[in-house]
Amino acid sequence: MRRTTFAEVMEGTVRLDGADRPMRLELSADLPGVLRPWGDIEGALSGRVVVPGWADGPASGRLRVAPVAARRIRYTLEFTALDGRRLRLDGWKSATPRHPVRSMTFLPATVTDADGAVVGEARLRFRLRRDLARFLSGFRFPADPARDPMRPRWRGQPGRLEVWYTTLSDPATGTGVWLHHELVAPPDDGPAREHGWAAVFPPGERPVFGRYEGPLARLQGAAGEIAWDLRESGGGDPLYTFPRWAWERELLPAAQIVPKPTASYDGTVRFGDRVLNLEAAPGGTARIYGHGNARRWAWLHADLGDGDVCEIVTAVSTRPGLRHLPPLTFLRLRTGGREIAATLGLRATIGLPSWTVRGRVGGGRRIHVEVTQRRAETVSVDYADPGGAPAVCHNSERADVRIVLTRGGRVERHWRLEGTAHAEVGVR
Amino acid sequence: MSALTGAAAALLGVEDEARLARIAGRAGTLPPPARLGLRAGAGALEAVSRLTTGRSLDTLDAGRRDALCTLMPGRFTEAMKIPLLLAAGPELLPASPPAAGQARPDAELDCTPAAEWPACTTADAVVIGSGAGGAMAARTLARQGMRVVIVEEGRRFTAAEFRARPPLDRFLDLYRGGGATVALGRPPVLLPEGRAVGGTTVVNSGTCYRTPERVLRRWDVPADEFGAHLDEVERTLRVAPQPLGPLGRNGLLALAGAERLGWQAAPLRRNAPGCAGSSQCAAGCPRNAKYGVHLNALPQACAAGARIVTHAKAENILVERGRATGVRARRPDGSFLEILAPRVIVAAGATQTPLLLRRSGLGGHPELGRNMAVHPATTLAGRFAEPVVAWSGVMQSVGIEELHDDGILIEATAGPPGMTSFVPPGAGRALRRELAGADRLAVLGAMIADAPSGRVHGRRRAVVRYDLARQDAARLRRALLAMGRVLFAAGAEEVLTGLHHRPVARTLDELSAAITLAPAAGLHLAGFHLSGTARLGADPERAPVDTAGRLRGVAGVHVADASVLPGCPEVNPQLTVMAMALHVAAGIA
Repeated sequence: MRRTTFAEVMEGTVRLDGADRPMRLELSADLPGVLRPWGDIEGALSGRVVVPGWADGPASGRLRVAPVAARRIRYTLEFTALDGRRLRLDGWKSATPRHPVRSMTFLPATVTDADGAVVGEARLRFRLRRDLARFLSGFRFPADPARDPMRPRWRGQPGRLEVWYTTLSDPATGTGVWLHHELVAPPDDGPAREHGWAAVFPPGERPVFGRYEGPLARLQGAAGEIAWDLRESGGGDPLYTFPRWAWERELLPAAQIVPKPTASYDGTVRFGDRVLNLEAAPGGTARIYGHGNARRWAWLHADLGDGDVCEIVTAVSTRPGLRHLPPLTFLRLRTGGREIAATLGLRATIGLPSWTVRGRVGGGRRIHVEVTQRRAETVSVDYADPGGAPAVCHNSERADVRIVLTRGGRVERHWRLEGTAHAEVGVR
Repeated sequence: MSALTGAAAALLGVEDEARLARIAGRAGTLPPPARLGLRAGAGALEAVSRLTTGRSLDTLDAGRRDALCTLMPGRFTEAMKIPLLLAAGPELLPASPPAAGQARPDAELDCTPAAEWPACTTADAVVIGSGAGGAMAARTLARQGMRVVIVEEGRRFTAAEFRARPPLDRFLDLYRGGGATVALGRPPVLLPEGRAVGGTTVVNSGTCYRTPERVLRRWDVPADEFGAHLDEVERTLRVAPQPLGPLGRNGLLALAGAERLGWQAAPLRRNAPGCAGSSQCAAGCPRNAKYGVHLNALPQACAAGARIVTHAKAENILVERGRATGVRARRPDGSFLEILAPRVIVAAGATQTPLLLRRSGLGGHPELGRNMAVHPATTLAGRFAEPVVAWSGVMQSVGIEELHDDGILIEATAGPPGMTSFVPPGAGRALRRELAGADRLAVLGAMIADAPSGRVHGRRRAVVRYDLARQDAARLRRALLAMGRVLFAAGAEEVLTGLHHRPVARTLDELSAAITLAPAAGLHLAGFHLSGTARLGADPERAPVDTAGRLRGVAGVHVADASVLPGCPEVNPQLTVMAMALHVAAGIA
């Protein structure tokens, strides 16, 4: 769902104490939804009221746009006059089919004081010839913050699992970090449980692992002998590994997306008696929401540099019937600002220490992804579904990956990451 | 001389050219339909003159003009006489006696002309119309603490203005369409409706009847609650029996006639404390003695915060998704103002309310605009040996209720000279003689409870169709005869029937014969009490308005004027309309 923002300037006069004075309104509107002429939408209005010598200051209020549904576009604004009085402007364009242009560009408005007494009457006009091009080109339709992919999705239902996890690689030392937060709502209306863990993967060493219980700020916290204090910046556009409808409608048993696929992290991570000072460490934050973990799964997050990223989730459902199918694979490859998405036509072979995904990705291209998680640099974590069923996740932020994209039998692009790919395999 | 002055000279028997010029000048200020009719009639008369005599009307002598008038069909001369007499009244009729000192000052009203009212305003409730219904509804809502705005098409009149201008002059300003609204039908019915701050209560006769029990029983309203509302209205209007002092001879003769017949009669109960008998009720009381809503309910509403926008004609009710959101009104310069409010109370009068609802897209109910009762009135004048000077005294003074159970209500009613609905017989010099002897006439009026057979058509201009039901024509004849009996009993030498085929009757038998022979279409009728065009009732099929006064099919629109009366109230309806408005307002949350 998107919002609509635009700017509008209207000029005219305001009659104050029997004398007309010039008046100018500079407004910015922010409407919750895409503006449609036949719709009825109300949102925030802000801007500036200028009447030389009488008012010149910020104004804020509401805008209702319903030119067909209610034949009205109503502006309400509160502002402060130069003499300190708090004033309110209330006016509307009354759309009439007989004079569509005149009625949609003329705004009569009444200015009242705090007691509701009329202070003045404004007659403002939108200057079509001068301002129409700027007005139209100023329309924007940004995404609605209410549909922020980072926003929690759990709304109290039993039997749900919601996960935020951040993985990153320190470019200076090659160390990987995994921070995992999850909320588990049991299927029997019992209280939801928040917990998580962290793991640090120094190159060539056994990973350090710690758990914590209770709610925690995502980027600051401590688990066992690990403590972290991070700042996240950038992130790129969200990467919908699972289709967006699946994430928003919650139609699949579970879905994973990456709200910040190419973020960078600064700060410190302490593990044992060592300190990792991070500066612009590449990483990402992903989300999972659904009924629980898969029966078998594998995951890859590969930061390919320059904003390019490859995300793969391949999984076998726990649902009766579905569990006998081969793994269903969701692959998103963002390269050069374009995205390749594939599900059908991909075949995954899940195993350790290596697993692969290969197949058609459209446009006559084929892809081959091979992930290797070295046993020594992999941590095994016991998972539990909301219903309590156990699983084991073998995770490494020090994985290797080779990605080859071919077209017509010829290699179009290929990438190779040594120890900076983030991957896991889950089994039961 | 124009055709118009020629026609005036012929029909009114006026010779003096300066006088004719003044009459023609005043005729030019009449409302457009009357002006158009006059011009067409004058043209026809001129054509007949050229055809029959070969000469123009203005070159004929008085004798030939009179002869020409007798040639014309009676209905033609009658139709021409009404607007001509209006225009010629100040020339030919005695002036109203100057009014005594004011009974009370003008009230404090918060009136703003539409031109000065901002284009965009908000309120908690908008009341359309400041007449009997609108004023009461506005007062109730304002006293509940709502911000109320009353939208009024007319303007404010003051007693000073009423004193400064002659009644005929005021008449054209005070009535919608200059008082020239006519219901089409056989016979046509004159429908005067007030248009001012205070509505028709500014120009009514001040007669206050409580709604009869038998009428209330037919309506879907709780009788006890309605009785309490009537009590409240009577207190507001300070209703009391009219003292005999200023009654005037017209009323005294009616009392005497009724007494001799052994009929039940008494001075009317009126909302006119301090009335001195100026006999100018129909053109606005010059003394503020008649206590219309512009002197009580409206100032009380304003004291509670209500505001009145004058010169604002409600164009349509704003509706969104089945809910009222305000009112759009037209200023005299053609621009619009809008008042947003979640409650809209329509009190525009029985002819205008259906039009407004249609313009607002709310006219879908098949019964809207139908079922109009007009409470038709007819008049009879008696000529007495002694001067009566009917225009000196209370305009509507005495009620004779002998036949009220049969739906006939007789009231002694004599307007200012030239403004009574009684049209003297004859044309030319004969008419002049009648006018010269007008001071010896006593006038009675009778209203009958009619079947709701009228219908208002149109969206912008009301086109009213009213056909007198057969039983109502019979009842009118009975009423005429009853008035004749009262006049003869009071000592009248003869009665003027107003029927053009037998204008004079010297005995009751002659009157009876004249009335029996008169076709229904030849009766002179006026309807002062229009009602029922958006009637209230429990049956959604038959009533556009529910029993609480809410217009069906939309939320937030309430109707609080005579339109909601489910049938003819059988009495002068101002108390009924106001009590109904209180009932409707009580249901507005």
